[in-house]
Amino acid sequence: MSRFFATGGSDSDSDSSSDEEVVQRPTVPVYTFSDDEEEIKRVVRSTKEKRYEELTNLIKQIRNFKKIKDMSSMLSSFEDLQKAYVKALPVIQKEENGQTPRFYTRCLVELEDFINEMWEDREGRKNLSKNNSKSLASMRQKLRKYVKEFEEDLTKFRANPDMPDDEEDEEKRDPEPDSDSEVPPKATIKTSKPAEGEEGESSSDSDDWPSDSESSSASSEDEDKFQTMRERFLKRNTEKEEDEEKEKKKEERRKERKDREKRRKKEDEEDEEGEWETVKGGMAIPSEKPKMFAKDAEIDLNLVIKKLNEIVAARGKKRTDRREQIELLHELQAVADQHQLGPAVAVKIKFAIISAIFDYNPKVSDAMKPEYWTRLLERMSEMLDMLQNHGDILISESVTEEMERFDEPPYRVRGCVLTSLERLDDEFIKLLKECDPHSNEYVERLKDEAKVSAIIDKVQKHLELHGAQSELCRIYLRKIEHLYYKFDPTVLQQKNGEIKLTVVTSMQEMERLCKYIYAKDGTDRLRTRAILSHIYHHALHDNWFQARDLVLMSHLQETIQHSDPSTQILYNRTMAHLGLCAFRHANIKDAHNCLVDLMMTGKPKELLAQGLLPQRQHERSKEQEKIEKQRQMPFHMHINLELLECVYLVSAMLIEIPYMAAHEFDARRRMISKTFYQQLRSSERQSLVGPPESMREHVVAAAKAMRNGHWGACNNFIINEKMNTKVWDLFYQADAVRAMLTKLIKEETLRTYLFTYSHVYDSISMSTLAEMFELDKSVVHSIISKMIINEELMASLDDPSQTVVMHRSEPSRLQSLALQLADKINNFVDSNERILETKQGNFFLRSANQGAFRGDRQNYRAGNVQDWSRQRRDNRREY
Amino acid sequence: MAKFDLTSRMGQYLDRHLVFPLLEFLSAKEIYDETELLKAKLDILSKTNMVDYAIDIRRQLYPKEEVPEELKQRRVHVVAQLQELQQEVEPILQIMGNDEVMKNMENMRDSKTLINFLAKDYNFEIDMIESLHKLAKYRYECGNYSVSTSYLYFCMLVLPPNDKNYLSVLWGKLASEILVQNWESALEDLNKLREYIDSSPNHFGGNSLQLLQQRTWLIHWSLFVFFNHAMGRELIIEMFLYRPHYLNAIQTMCPHILRYLATAVIINRGRRSALKDLVKVIQQESYTYRDPITEFLEHLYVNFDFDGARQKLHECQTVLFNDFFLISCLDEFVENARLMIFETFCRIHQCISIGMLAEKLNMDPDAAECWIVNLIRNARLDAKIDSKLGHVVMGAQPLSPYQQLIEKIDSLAVRSETLVGLIDRKLKARNDIRWGTQEF
Repeated sequence: MSRFFATGGSDSDSDSSSDEEVVQRPTVPVYTFSDDEEEIKRVVRSTKEKRYEELTNLIKQIRNFKKIKDMSSMLSSFEDLQKAYVKALPVIQKEENGQTPRFYTRCLVELEDFINEMWEDREGRKNLSKNNSKSLASMRQKLRKYVKEFEEDLTKFRANPDMPDDEEDEEKRDPEPDSDSEVPPKATIKTSKPAEGEEGESSSDSDDWPSDSESSSASSEDEDKFQTMRERFLKRNTEKEEDEEKEKKKEERRKERKDREKRRKKEDEEDEEGEWETVKGGMAIPSEKPKMFAKDAEIDLNLVIKKLNEIVAARGKKRTDRREQIELLHELQAVADQHQLGPAVAVKIKFAIISAIFDYNPKVSDAMKPEYWTRLLERMSEMLDMLQNHGDILISESVTEEMERFDEPPYRVRGCVLTSLERLDDEFIKLLKECDPHSNEYVERLKDEAKVSAIIDKVQKHLELHGAQSELCRIYLRKIEHLYYKFDPTVLQQKNGEIKLTVVTSMQEMERLCKYIYAKDGTDRLRTRAILSHIYHHALHDNWFQARDLVLMSHLQETIQHSDPSTQILYNRTMAHLGLCAFRHANIKDAHNCLVDLMMTGKPKELLAQGLLPQRQHERSKEQEKIEKQRQMPFHMHINLELLECVYLVSAMLIEIPYMAAHEFDARRRMISKTFYQQLRSSERQSLVGPPESMREHVVAAAKAMRNGHWGACNNFIINEKMNTKVWDLFYQADAVRAMLTKLIKEETLRTYLFTYSHVYDSISMSTLAEMFELDKSVVHSIISKMIINEELMASLDDPSQTVVMHRSEPSRLQSLALQLADKINNFVDSNERILETKQGNFFLRSANQGAFRGDRQNYRAGNVQDWSRQRRDNRREY
Repeated sequence: MAKFDLTSRMGQYLDRHLVFPLLEFLSAKEIYDETELLKAKLDILSKTNMVDYAIDIRRQLYPKEEVPEELKQRRVHVVAQLQELQQEVEPILQIMGNDEVMKNMENMRDSKTLINFLAKDYNFEIDMIESLHKLAKYRYECGNYSVSTSYLYFCMLVLPPNDKNYLSVLWGKLASEILVQNWESALEDLNKLREYIDSSPNHFGGNSLQLLQQRTWLIHWSLFVFFNHAMGRELIIEMFLYRPHYLNAIQTMCPHILRYLATAVIINRGRRSALKDLVKVIQQESYTYRDPITEFLEHLYVNFDFDGARQKLHECQTVLFNDFFLISCLDEFVENARLMIFETFCRIHQCISIGMLAEKLNMDPDAAECWIVNLIRNARLDAKIDSKLGHVVMGAQPLSPYQQLIEKIDSLAVRSETLVGLIDRKLKARNDIRWGTQEF
């Protein structure tokens, strides 16, 4: 059963997958965003762009290292650059007719100059650290070799070093078309840049430049003509022409560009911060924050949306202050409310806030902070209320950004309520898991359950109006997962006729939700989970037959090994409750069968995901532990383990003790319950047995009493003050369970008694037996009849005198030994035949592989040895 | 006794026409209100073409009212339609009139050669079958079951099993055979239909729900056959209890069928071994369905409550008496049930007083003694009657340990011998291989 946890690594839990995403984030280049809106754009970008971006990033790095003269890092960056260039080569070949991109050439030239300079500067070189100087030498050699390939380009470049100026011009001009919408701070930064020398600024700008999506396509066109029309750049200095050109190319991407522009600017700031440590950079950020809009700006729909996009675009970036984002969005919302821009915008902003709050927590595995959680709950229910009040808002993932409409109904907004809800629910569970279950904090958090459920209801209502079937299935499952483990006393009251049938209990609710999922669900997983929850709910409310039939009809027992761990955990939980339910219905065998899988391993705690056990043999790795922790159930959903174990042991006792008594001299006797045997044996090993203290000791003591046919003592050990408080009172109808138990104990003790002492009697009066066990005479009659029919008891009834007449079939000592021997010989012959049977198949194949045969023979011998040892053990037990 | 009447439950799985016999039976038993039954009949008839019958019933129901015009018109319409259909399939009807051709047809192997043969000699077209099928259905709706039987027989000969109409033809044939009470061929059709359903789940698009439905229908329809055909009692156990698909269908869709299954097992003395399996099923389904018959078995074989069993046996008699299918085997049932009680009794007891036994078997003591004497004389019971005390004393003695031991080790020697023989042979064979291939 430990397979659930052993296979932890490869699950496709939604949690863990989003976790990965987060882990990845830092490694992705600065320009990518995890925001899905951004994702789409990334797809649009050509491979060329991607490659160029890589190159420019590396070049920038090299430049940084140049400044601090870190030769070893530079060397590695240079090597990366070479590799990146090789990767980019196909694109370059295609896009630029094999011409080396200019920025790359420039980098090489600069690098060469720099290295030469360093090399020449003997003084400086001596001061370098050993590592650095070594790197410098190898760098020089590599560079020399490498540069040879680009000799031509380099000389061209050197011949015409004015070129960068052109590019820079272009760069400087390009904001112009957008200047109408440009935010003021931008200009100030541009102009306030310290005069560090043309070189520094221009280069930093120009190498940023090709990475922009719009510019790359532009330059690709440019570079088509590059070779032949070198003069073109000079011509283009005239404003008009350039404007025309630009307009044409940029028209489509204007909006997107703005975002990028903004972002790029920010990044520039950051970069500059890192590079030069100017004071200005630090100043730039606070100057941006308080001013949402320019003072005199006319606030209308477009502006707000623009601003929203702007804020959202910064999401997920490394240096974005997440708290500030949330604040900004709130502020924006206030502005929007103030100007009454319509419900759609409000919803859109709420969405942004919700996702920003989700983002606030950098680690997916950790829970969010309570204050944010409450805020999240509020925002979510606000948004849903809004949606409910304005029926004309269409929210869907299928609405693309272009299709969004905020100005007039019917509104269309991009987004998915369901996904947010699912995330919220997951966060809630995480939050609960974080708390100490025995503290008030946990209770406080648990109070939010009502709120979460209310939100789920709202979403459900919303989706019932607008959603597709698959979405409905998902929301129903969420609802089910908040419902299935809760005990609803009205269900039982209804069953007893105390409440009218028209009252809707959780049972009917479950029925409705689950049936919908059974009928409409396309994915297997939802259905499986729905079935399991349904069974759980039935079992919880004592609907034993329905629960059993559902289990049997779903055939889940056969396929559950192949499902994901969380479903397997649910399966285990369901089986546990099914066992309890069977027990309450006095179906002891079924109860035992349901629970035996959980109990046999000795770690029901782990199987039910109610806590991690320290592992002795092999320490689990950090990651595995994390995964397992994620799977744990929150405390309020736990199943009482002591109850579970007690029910299991008692059922094992009720089955095992009569069986032991009946087969005392049977060589083929098997253990029914290993765990129960362990308990018995460990108590037998003690030289002094005190009065029972723990639950287990109680059961063991009861088992011993039962073995002696003493039902009263057995009953007292199972049902007493201590056990009541520990176990039995946990049942809803504890008295009924206790009565059932007493009855069963009487019956089984009677059976045990008859098995054990039948050889002492010649005949027993049934009325005496009935008196002894305080049972009805008819029950005694029925039990004895059953035993006779099943040939368990060698006896028959004498009707006129109402007695049981034993037949002297009990063998003497010698005879029983002889019988045992015969049994064993029978076993022996059986196993011989079996061995021959298995070998028969091998026999003809053997000439093909001799080695296998030899192995086979060893196995055979080993099997034999095991057989013997087992038999010996049997012997020991008997005497 | 309406409590244990299953007609309403069964009705939903039966064809309209098949419900008639049940309703007729009920009205004979006078369990329900006569007018209600008539209304039900009328309701059923409204969708069939048996207009004359409908008019009759109307008259019975509302003797004062005139027959509505609508019905009369419908009658004319039906007749006209019938004529029209008849015309369409004239060639086939001619073929069917020709005995020689029919004989030939029966000898043909597959439908293709048959169709070729017919098309060549008797200007037959495959499209006509469609019309014939329609006509058969129409005839059936009119209540001319025997005619539709022959039409459908022709259809079955000609149609390939993967035709879309084939299944419907099979069902139609079965229904008409049942209604003309031709049990021999009905059984044949039943088997054909069952094979068709079982062997080709793909015909139902892999839709297990539909399959289940088909099986449920088949189970209900087959009751007609099983309780009227001589072999039925054997076959019903075979099909309902030992075919997992059908047992499944009974358990999930129609646990009330357990009554018929239980009765069949009880009256079938040769199949005592089936009892154990049946009792298991009954216990499993006891929460969804129970009636005196299943309870009787439960009392007898689960609780060994003989008093309870006796009571239930009494109730069983009324249930059986009011059941369309089971009324014919009432006496048999009682006789066998008694025997079962007695057998079980004997296995448990070594000494029984005749008076008590008589009470348990619902007999008076003299008859009971006579009955027991007969049993002993026929060597079905190893017992003696002690007439002084009025006891029956069983003669069975338990096995002595010595005998047990002998029994246990009896076969051992033989088994070991064969084992040794086998190994010997193998060793020899292996050595031969060695010589042949020189492996070592």
